[in-house]
Amino acid sequence: MVTYKFLNVIEKCIDCGACFAICKDQNKVPHGTARVQVVTINEGRPGEKNIPVSCMHCTEPPCEAACPVKAIYKREEDGIVLMDKNKCIGCGYCGWACPFGAPQYPHGLHGDLKEWEGIMDKCTLCVQPFVPLEKEREPSPRCALFCSTKARLGGDIAAILPVYREKKAIYTSRWQERVL
Amino acid sequence: MATSTNSIGKNNGIRMSRRTFTKLTALGTAAALSGISSVSAIQDKFPLIESASASPEEPGVTLVKSTCSHCAVGCGFQGKIQKGVCIGIEPWLENPINRGSMCSKGASIAEILNSPLRLKYPMEKVNGQWKQISWTEALDKIANKMKEIKATYGPDSIFYMGSAKVSNEECYLFRKFAAFNGTNNVDHQARICHSTTVAGLANTWSYGAMTNPWNDMRHSGVILFCGENAAESHPVAMLHILEAKRRGAKFIVMDPRFTKSAAAADMYVRFRSGTDIPLIWGICNVIVNNNWHNKDFIAKRTYGFDKWWDVVKEYTPEVVEDITWVPADTIRQVAYDWAFPPRGEGYANCICWAMGATQHTVGTNNIRSFACLSLLMGYAGRPGGGTNAFRGHDNVQGSTDMCVLSHWLPAYYGLDEGSWKHWIGVWNRHAPITYEEMKAKFAEHNGKSLMHVKGITVSRWYEGVLNREFPINQPNPIKMAFVWGHSLNSISEMKRMKEAMEQVELLVGVDPHATIAASLADRPDGIIILPASTQFEEEGSVTNSARQVQWRNKLVEPLYESKPDWWIMQELAKRLGFGEHFTYTNMEDVLREINLGSNVIMMRESPERLKRQQLQCTTECSVFSCEDCQAKSGPLKGEYWGLPWPCWNDEHPGTPILYRNDIPVSEGGNEYRTRFRGPDSTPGNPLSDDGESMLGAAYGYPEGYDEKNSDGTDGPGWKFEIDADFKALIAQNICPSGAGRARFRAWNLPDPVPVHREPIESPRPDLVDKYPTYDDVADHFRVKCLYKTIQQERKNLVNDYPYILTTGRQVEHMGGGAETRSCEYLVELQPEMYAEINPTTALELGITHWDYIWVETLRGKCKVRAYVTERVNEQTIFMPYHWAGWLEGESYADRWPEGTGELAYGDSCNVITVDGYDRSTNMQETKVCLCKVYKA
Repeated sequence: MVTYKFLNVIEKCIDCGACFAICKDQNKVPHGTARVQVVTINEGRPGEKNIPVSCMHCTEPPCEAACPVKAIYKREEDGIVLMDKNKCIGCGYCGWACPFGAPQYPHGLHGDLKEWEGIMDKCTLCVQPFVPLEKEREPSPRCALFCSTKARLGGDIAAILPVYREKKAIYTSRWQERVL
Repeated sequence: MATSTNSIGKNNGIRMSRRTFTKLTALGTAAALSGISSVSAIQDKFPLIESASASPEEPGVTLVKSTCSHCAVGCGFQGKIQKGVCIGIEPWLENPINRGSMCSKGASIAEILNSPLRLKYPMEKVNGQWKQISWTEALDKIANKMKEIKATYGPDSIFYMGSAKVSNEECYLFRKFAAFNGTNNVDHQARICHSTTVAGLANTWSYGAMTNPWNDMRHSGVILFCGENAAESHPVAMLHILEAKRRGAKFIVMDPRFTKSAAAADMYVRFRSGTDIPLIWGICNVIVNNNWHNKDFIAKRTYGFDKWWDVVKEYTPEVVEDITWVPADTIRQVAYDWAFPPRGEGYANCICWAMGATQHTVGTNNIRSFACLSLLMGYAGRPGGGTNAFRGHDNVQGSTDMCVLSHWLPAYYGLDEGSWKHWIGVWNRHAPITYEEMKAKFAEHNGKSLMHVKGITVSRWYEGVLNREFPINQPNPIKMAFVWGHSLNSISEMKRMKEAMEQVELLVGVDPHATIAASLADRPDGIIILPASTQFEEEGSVTNSARQVQWRNKLVEPLYESKPDWWIMQELAKRLGFGEHFTYTNMEDVLREINLGSNVIMMRESPERLKRQQLQCTTECSVFSCEDCQAKSGPLKGEYWGLPWPCWNDEHPGTPILYRNDIPVSEGGNEYRTRFRGPDSTPGNPLSDDGESMLGAAYGYPEGYDEKNSDGTDGPGWKFEIDADFKALIAQNICPSGAGRARFRAWNLPDPVPVHREPIESPRPDLVDKYPTYDDVADHFRVKCLYKTIQQERKNLVNDYPYILTTGRQVEHMGGGAETRSCEYLVELQPEMYAEINPTTALELGITHWDYIWVETLRGKCKVRAYVTERVNEQTIFMPYHWAGWLEGESYADRWPEGTGELAYGDSCNVITVDGYDRSTNMQETKVCLCKVYKA
């Protein structure tokens, strides 16, 4: 059994926006909706940090608990939190419950996408594009694959955690005091 | 298009939400608590998902390798092609440069390629209306007009603005095309981005390019940025820089603005725009005064140290503090780190820059000072060291090598008779042409053939049209201009340019998008725009900033009615009567022709070798190391990725690190060229102008040697041999370009040793007389250029215009932004033009975040949003330069042909940047001028 997660080495994130753009390219997410976006804190000051934020695929997803129609579920085999868009009623409870602001409620959609207006959308680890496919794809988070500085790690937690620790360790040691 | 602009314009909530996203704290804490563990020695480790198959799950999809078309890092990616359509992209994980990484622009390639806003067919503006015309009609009209203008006004009345966005082959053909049209009035973006780098570095140590590859920065002790913001302009370069930092390198950013790169750095030094030279001299001053410099290296491989020190000794940290606003102790700290890299003994340090350093009236001198700083410690020519000029466009190094420039022929051959004869010898192999026949194509002016006279530069091409305040030195003004893959909003003085665009008889735009070549000029007719195919609809080689040449494959057939640039040139050549010189059926043949004659840079990257490398990088995972880009196993063992030039012959592995002379030439060793000769020099004995030997210690030759012809004799003849391979010389470890000395003192430049000169518009009137700019120049690339006159006129300008305006990049947009501002993903990230302003300044002026403000200079004004941030200090205003579609607050979006407009428009900052130009290369000074700001 594997458990899919994201880890971000925030010292390496430079807010280039690759995760945002490649997610749009891969999952055809419409304008105004972002499955992942980079949040900047302390902008323009020493200590400025960027953090790519998306669904974290929580072990105990509060969104799942909050969903009144049981549209959100956690896949047993790999821990990916998915949603059944056909069940979703767009009530927004998941948005209230999520600590990361991951659930999105698309608005102003046109044409074929009209039927998904207001229906919750969020990161699926590239398993499902914006318009759901009948057959789910293999999980392969494009944001992590394309990340310009390899700051974003995505995959089985057992595999990415050692990489994360190695990358993280050095930043908390030698030169950090010079920045702050 | 107006409606879509508005709908997107309103969407600035993205940025607002970033600032107020408070729930984030939880994540930050969690991240900080995890992970203190042992640091593994495995350096090449990336997330596990790298080993997961990146092949698409969809049936019927093929993956085609290609190279990104945005910045000069040269990232590889794979296009997902289904039924001839590019449906997305996949990472190319084995590519040693980027290991699959892309930035937001690269990630949007499929969207940009398939953009419905592209120019779809040739169009002509008639009676104020855009009209579709056929290719035949368009080409006939253009060719007839060219013939007419050449007959009436002479060949120099057509200006050819080339591109750094096309392949090496097309760049070469473009220069050849201009030559066959009988003019040197050909130029391109390299003039306005890194021409001062080329002039500065080449005059120090012979080659004007980035010395070390991107990956090599992993081995640096200190990475010093001066006027570079890689996090926005070259995001994937940060992959290597942050890896170096992880391993213990110190990353120092010196910049007037606290950039995203500065946020990732160990140390940030804020200095006043336009004072790079005193800052660097301050560092050098501390190093020499403390006796930390590398005396052995200086004695053996450099020239002019004593005369250089005579100048630099004046720049003590206290003097520098007054000029640059950097505390003297900070300068001492940087100097100490530069001399003793904190990563440990034996590491070399590199200095990196981009437009922040080049775009000044003293741009060439800025770059010279960086090179001297590198020479001082002997870091030039060592792994981890060197001077890394981060170039801008995907093929700007290649287009510079192919010299789409008004003062060179391909491969940096001058405009003298010998150089012309060399290239005519190469062209003669394709179809008969003699030197006399070529000379007959050129006009004469003041009794001299214009064949040997530098042409007008792209930075001031409009003066060639206007011919008013600045009379030009050629028979007639420019009457027709090609804007071939060039964003005009990256050129300063846009209001004058607009006037020129309205004055020429015909304006021809060639680009995948309509661009402002079609829309800036407010004229009812006289514009023809041709849809060129994008980089992914044609093939060819591209050279990234690190001189690595990669073969870019064609992903799909040209969409709509677009055509490859080389086809357009071919068709025009046919109509102009020299079609036989352009009868190529594929780009491989053109590259082979380039290989024949490009001795100065020794480009011997045959298409077969480039394609073989690409194949090896497909079938054998990670055959090229990410550490030094060398193949460590497999059939290409020993070869460097991209065969960086000089690549001396078809067996040479390429030279990744220039001037590295602790390894033999046959394995990538290199020497400083013996290119600089004073008047008393003889073959075999090059001397400086004051009689010192210019031969420097070399690998296996402690006394050095002069440049060698392939038969072993001394002399510059090697440059003019056609299809030479120099195998005999390389076997003896002799670099045909000689083993000379790098110059602290470049006697042929206006400032042999750079000195501080205040910018044209200085915020320090008290320093203007002490550090004045240059005297006016009567003929600077055929146009008069004012320096001292305007500096004196504006000496007290700071009283009325109190803020320093500087310009730069946004990560989401590229160049003039025609492609990226038409891409929905990128526009969503960066929807509007803004000016960054310090909170204190904003408070004083009563400006709040996202208000509309006017930024005004002597040239004009821009209406933009106020972005209140501490990135800039209280004296500085920053504006990105990618925007167009507004002129002084008025939208001209209605002048785009229907269906080709961009998604986001904004005022162009180059309307208001200063009219100062570099003394050596005519680079425009966009990085410093004075402005005032008020609420709109």
